[in-house]
Amino acid sequence: MNDNNTSNDMNNNIMDDLQYRRRIYAEPSSQDKDLIAAQNADPTKKQLAQTLCQFDEKLKQAMKIPVPDDLCHKLLLRQTLASHQQEKRKSRIHLALAASVAITAGLIVHYFQFSNSHTNLGDYALAHIYYEQGTFSNDDNNRVSLTALNKKMTSFNGSFNDSMGELISADYCRFDGMKSLHLVFKGLTDTVTVFIVPKKEHLAFTDKFNDNKLQGRSFAFKENNILVVADKNESLDNWQRTINNNISWSI
Amino acid sequence: MATKQVRYEALVKALHGDLYRYGYWLTHDKQVAEDLVQETFLRAWRALDSLKDEKAAKSWLITILRRENARRFERKRFDMSEYEEANIMDTQATSAEQEIENHWLRDKIAQLAPEYSEPLILQVLGGYSGEDIANMLNLNKNTVMTRLFRARHQLKDALEKEPEKMRLIHE
Repeated sequence: MNDNNTSNDMNNNIMDDLQYRRRIYAEPSSQDKDLIAAQNADPTKKQLAQTLCQFDEKLKQAMKIPVPDDLCHKLLLRQTLASHQQEKRKSRIHLALAASVAITAGLIVHYFQFSNSHTNLGDYALAHIYYEQGTFSNDDNNRVSLTALNKKMTSFNGSFNDSMGELISADYCRFDGMKSLHLVFKGLTDTVTVFIVPKKEHLAFTDKFNDNKLQGRSFAFKENNILVVADKNESLDNWQRTINNNISWSI
Repeated sequence: MATKQVRYEALVKALHGDLYRYGYWLTHDKQVAEDLVQETFLRAWRALDSLKDEKAAKSWLITILRRENARRFERKRFDMSEYEEANIMDTQATSAEQEIENHWLRDKIAQLAPEYSEPLILQVLGGYSGEDIANMLNLNKNTVMTRLFRARHQLKDALEKEPEKMRLIHE
């Protein structure tokens, strides 16, 4: 069977019966000129073409099996759900991005505020004070009583026998992640800060430290260190003596 | 986004029936055909931007469906059930007589070897020319025409073996 040389067939004589049958069986509704010519020349060929066309119509009806009514809706619904999922994934990614940005920002702030980047007590104490710069002033009228102070000192198994000066503030704070007591006294020219910090290994003990503005000292006790930080007008020797004379540890 | 949605809905509405029937004749199983159509349209949605010519949409979808079916066949080579008469569905809304005819014809179409039934379905149901079918099935046109000839010839042979059905072709 050959469809390509239809024009050759046309130019020769009418195609033979077998060739016609093969062609018309393959495509009953063909409008090829040579097939039409053959049909016009031979009524039985035309008859065969008509019969096969009718048969095709029957086949077509048989092939048209019923389509489930809900298929169209299912397809549309499924697509809608699929793109909704996609959207949700997208917004989840956005949320995750926002969250990770927030966490990163938080970590950075935390790193600057409370990080272990300060490897010794003195550095950390100075950093802490500079971070809180402006929070306390020598002119604050707040006073904390000895009783209130000693109540807070119980966490450290210690107490002060006598007042060591005008106490502006006594609050727990985080000293490089450790719960510490942060005392602010009225000083000669500026506030004097005293930290009571549990002994931990990750901060190296530095007995004396200073920068161009502040000076500080650390005193090691059995379970805690006490640090004093003040400006350079203050006598840390006096503070050391006062603290040593006043502090008592219950264990 | 909205235009993509509109295009997709138009495609689904216009072509899901043809696709389903095509899938059915490939698989002889209406559930599998439905799954194939779902899979096909899902892939079509993802690839919709690559469809440039809406006139080519149907053959594009048929190509996707055939590929999906081939994948299914790879996955479930041993699950493939032979054609069973019970899988052939009934139609509503046709006269009892025509229904019997349809049923008989479906039976015979389903018994054709796939290489014969597939071009026949594309031609009769899909309205594709020999050339189109050759392109879609990746065959040369002469092969397609031979298969179409044999497909009809086998159906007609089957008719001749059951003379009471002859009016189907000669009425």
